[in-house]
Amino acid sequence: MAGATDMKLGLGRKKTVWIAAAIVAANGFFPALWILFTSFKTESELLRHPITIVPHDPTLMNFVRVFVDQPILLFLGNSLVVAGLSTALCIFVSALAAYAIVRLRIPGRNVVLSVLLAVSMFPLISLMVPLFQTMRTLGWLNTYPALVFPYAVLSMPVCTLVMASFFQDIPGDLENAAMIDGCTRLGALWHVVVPLAAPGVFTAAILAFVNAWDEFLLALTLSSRVTSRTLPVGITLYQGEFAFPWPIISAALIVAIVPVCALIAIFQERVVSGLTAGGVKG
Amino acid sequence: MAAAKKYKLSKLERDERRLGFVLLAPAAALLTAVVVYPIAELLANSLYSFRLTRPGYRFIGLENFTFALFEDDRFLQSVLNTAILIGVTVPGALVIGLGLALLANQPFKVKWPVRLGLLLPWALPLVFAGLIFRWFFDYRQGFVNWLIELAGFAPPQWLSDPHLAFVALCIAIVWKSSSFMALILLAGLQTIPKSLYEAAEVDGASRFQQFVEITLPMLKPAIVVALIFRTITAIQTFDIPYAMTNGGPGSATETMAMYIHKTTIDFLDIGYGSALATLMFLISIAATSVYLRHTKRDGGRN
Repeated sequence: MAGATDMKLGLGRKKTVWIAAAIVAANGFFPALWILFTSFKTESELLRHPITIVPHDPTLMNFVRVFVDQPILLFLGNSLVVAGLSTALCIFVSALAAYAIVRLRIPGRNVVLSVLLAVSMFPLISLMVPLFQTMRTLGWLNTYPALVFPYAVLSMPVCTLVMASFFQDIPGDLENAAMIDGCTRLGALWHVVVPLAAPGVFTAAILAFVNAWDEFLLALTLSSRVTSRTLPVGITLYQGEFAFPWPIISAALIVAIVPVCALIAIFQERVVSGLTAGGVKG
Repeated sequence: MAAAKKYKLSKLERDERRLGFVLLAPAAALLTAVVVYPIAELLANSLYSFRLTRPGYRFIGLENFTFALFEDDRFLQSVLNTAILIGVTVPGALVIGLGLALLANQPFKVKWPVRLGLLLPWALPLVFAGLIFRWFFDYRQGFVNWLIELAGFAPPQWLSDPHLAFVALCIAIVWKSSSFMALILLAGLQTIPKSLYEAAEVDGASRFQQFVEITLPMLKPAIVVALIFRTITAIQTFDIPYAMTNGGPGSATETMAMYIHKTTIDFLDIGYGSALATLMFLISIAATSVYLRHTKRDGGRN
């Protein structure tokens, strides 16, 4: 199949395809590459005019300073805990809801779906004001729960929809067979559906994790004390002694985006299918 | 026999229904705690004069709203800024996103560079995109001015000129949002049957004609969904201008979300901030209902 298309393509066409790929890749990689290059530059090279693109005198000093001078490990830890816990909570809650929507004859199924869609469109800024006040009253500002619960809800709609579409594809006969063999409904969900839907569950988990890892507004509002900052807040609010120290910031950005980039690079096909599932079906 | 069967089914149905509600309960509980209750509190607070900087609060009816809509120039400026941002960046992201999707919809042998090229901008936190673009547009060390100087022009002060700051902001937002647009449109492109193009080619249609007559009409549902989606998120624009211009110079690039954040968190004016957030909530509801009506109509057609 691939061979046949190759033969049909003329040399000129091949070149166009190549250029198309280069443009898309360059557009996406460029900013990340830029900060990667910068993270290896010395402060004095950065002040040179005109600017340099590739570091002339590569140094690892910026990474050392990020870890030694800055509480970046603390930010990293906060981000991991918040994103990890909220993803786990979100998946647990969404998997049950998705199963109920797909398999059980609940009345008002369309209402549930509409509510989910409406929540996914909800302006976070409107929630931010009362959440700030509530968390302040509860004394939860600058604690993990202040972010874990909102983040779990934030990703609930997309996770429910993604998992529902995967559950839909599992033949109901398998569960019926398990139930005839003496499994309960929940037993069938746990022993039959979840293993079969593992790719869907996993896709949803990646989306939830990236959403939580990237979130800024709530993290800035509810958790801005230095020791409880997540990576986006910690890096954005970082103040140098004089100006914004770009080489160090670049190194910090690299540290912050590498985990997520690795995740999506390894599971890119799943991420794409999960992202477009909602969009195309509408 | 038939009656017995029916009775059995309905008992099973009742059990299933009960289990369904049990399974939905955790989701409903979380939604109530994190969305429903806060919104109720938001609506209530919007009717009060309530600042954390002084004790007590007082019911003032719709006074917060009338002040916002008729007297608060800074708020109206932020609404206008947000409207312009939507008007520029939503169509901008659509055009660029469609371009990227068409480029990405080629028979590549190695697929990962293109796929990752579309995924990276999506996965990059908005606020980091703002930081990186702030630096691209830096007067002395920025990449953009380096290009401009190479081309032989005088480099402008991007972020300290109100109009240029707006332009730079729009470029950053379009870059960040066009990739997700491209992913959605690409998925749409891949559902268009190849046979349509082959038939058009036999009929002697040019590539441009094929694009206008086949690609655009077939892609329309995906385009509409992507546009509405993007508009609803654009109403809430916060992260990129926060990191890039912090609303400046002055409040030339301040968005609604930034002004609400400032009012509530920096000035600690919960009552007024709640009223402004309620206004944004109403705008989003209007936009969302357009979206829901659209999907419902589509669902009915299928």
